[in-house]
Amino acid sequence: MGFTALDWAIVTVYLIASVAIGLAGKRYIGNLSHYLVAGRELGVYLGVATLAATEIGTITYMYNAELGYRYGFASFAAALISGLVMIFVGRTGFVIRPFREMQLMTVPEFFEKKYSLGLRLLTGMLVALGGILNMGVFLKIEGEFLAIVSGTPMKYLVLVMTVILLIEMLYTVLGGMVSVVITDFLQYVLLSVATILVSVAAVRAAGWGHIVHTVSTTMGLAGFSPLENAKFGWTFLIWQTLLWFSVHTCWQTTAMRMFSTRGPEVSKRVMTVTGFIFLGRGMLPMLWGIAALALYGTGAAHNGISAPVVGGHTLAPLDAMPAMLANILGPGIKGIVVAGMLAATMSVNSSYLLGWSSILSQDVILPLRRLVGREPLSSRRQILVNRLANLFVSMFLMFWGLYYTPPGAVYLYLNITATIFLAGAFVSVIGGLYWKRATTLGGYLAMMMGAAGAIVPYFFLHWNETQAGFGAFGLAALGLVFGSLAGRPAGAAVAAVEAR
Amino acid sequence: MRAWEIFWAASLVIAGVSFAGITAVVAVRGLGDLREMFRHLRERRDAAE
Repeated sequence: MGFTALDWAIVTVYLIASVAIGLAGKRYIGNLSHYLVAGRELGVYLGVATLAATEIGTITYMYNAELGYRYGFASFAAALISGLVMIFVGRTGFVIRPFREMQLMTVPEFFEKKYSLGLRLLTGMLVALGGILNMGVFLKIEGEFLAIVSGTPMKYLVLVMTVILLIEMLYTVLGGMVSVVITDFLQYVLLSVATILVSVAAVRAAGWGHIVHTVSTTMGLAGFSPLENAKFGWTFLIWQTLLWFSVHTCWQTTAMRMFSTRGPEVSKRVMTVTGFIFLGRGMLPMLWGIAALALYGTGAAHNGISAPVVGGHTLAPLDAMPAMLANILGPGIKGIVVAGMLAATMSVNSSYLLGWSSILSQDVILPLRRLVGREPLSSRRQILVNRLANLFVSMFLMFWGLYYTPPGAVYLYLNITATIFLAGAFVSVIGGLYWKRATTLGGYLAMMMGAAGAIVPYFFLHWNETQAGFGAFGLAALGLVFGSLAGRPAGAAVAAVEAR
Repeated sequence: MRAWEIFWAASLVIAGVSFAGITAVVAVRGLGDLREMFRHLRERRDAAE
């Protein structure tokens, strides 16, 4: 069933309201701190809204639903780990408290404070590379979702992607973090309502008993136990634990929210509360995917997974969930859900655009200027550099998103591209904060070995994601320990920077 | 398998209830935070001008 006039009206009203509210944020931008960290004025509830909205997008729903479709309830383990790790980080203040106390604006900035300017530059480049590659698949998948649910022909996919990107870019470039926070609040409320509506509709349509029966008959114990599922196992669970620790502490868009709060205690509370939201962020869309399997998983099996067949057409597992929504949601509800998903898309993409462009400007372009002896830029000029970096990232995303399709489950592609920088960054941050012997050489080796450990096995040797990801963290840790024991203490490097 | 089913069902209920409950609280109290952020940013901008 396609979109009705009522559905289009709901979506149009949302888009106009969102852009108008986002543009209103521009009037509050006075300096760079307002632009990048909203003047560090976030309270607990606004912090929760913006952090949740930033990390819940249509892409999140799509990859989690795909994981649920492919691996059943066993996939819930990934959601459980992400939520529990976040609650632990929030309760203890692990990494986030010292980060907030240091008044950082970006994660690589820490590398200069603790290690050296050169290591900040290297980290900035790897963070930008991994982050932009990671975001590169968002637009196409989000466009597919919106096209399938609204019944828009696929030939308009590029147009849908372009319109989404232009709208996000408009208010992010002009209003920075203030605009992003305001729109995130509206978008969080809307996406949450959509999430709850879809969850109820999916269980009603498929039936809980039928969902459980389908998983047990098609997958057996592997559909319930992550330890029995060949795709998961202990290695996967340990990698996921390390990865989520690093995401919740060192992922730029998450860290920017922690840097933007009124203080370390607020950061801890924001992280703890959002941890509970993260349980639902993973499990609810995974449930939608399992419901889609129960309703449409009747096609030929490929790698042990039955392809979804909807209206006589065989689809990819990734598209099963949106096809289900197109069929089970009635007029009006579909408009609200699509507006909610658009909200989710825009909140994630605008935050990510700001996050990765801020890394490019603050941790690549500006340090390079300092290395070649150029004068520091004024706050106004730095905002201009940020805006230009934002434009560059947006253009790259359009082209990469159109021409690259990740092999296998999207969730795992996103995990491995994140690991390119997270393995080394997380290990170096832990070393820098909690190990006195950590040195600049150790930091360099951790970043390079972590990145090589993810890129070479995954993109060139075609290992699976779990092996590559697990190995990357191991290599990064080895690099930090070996380099630190062999190099001079980081204090000497810090003193050299301060002297300069 | 039955134990896993009960475990995941319970986790799902906790996740769903937390998600809905936190949304309701944040929707109401987040507005207050938003107003306070605007006030502080306006004050700082005016002071700078």
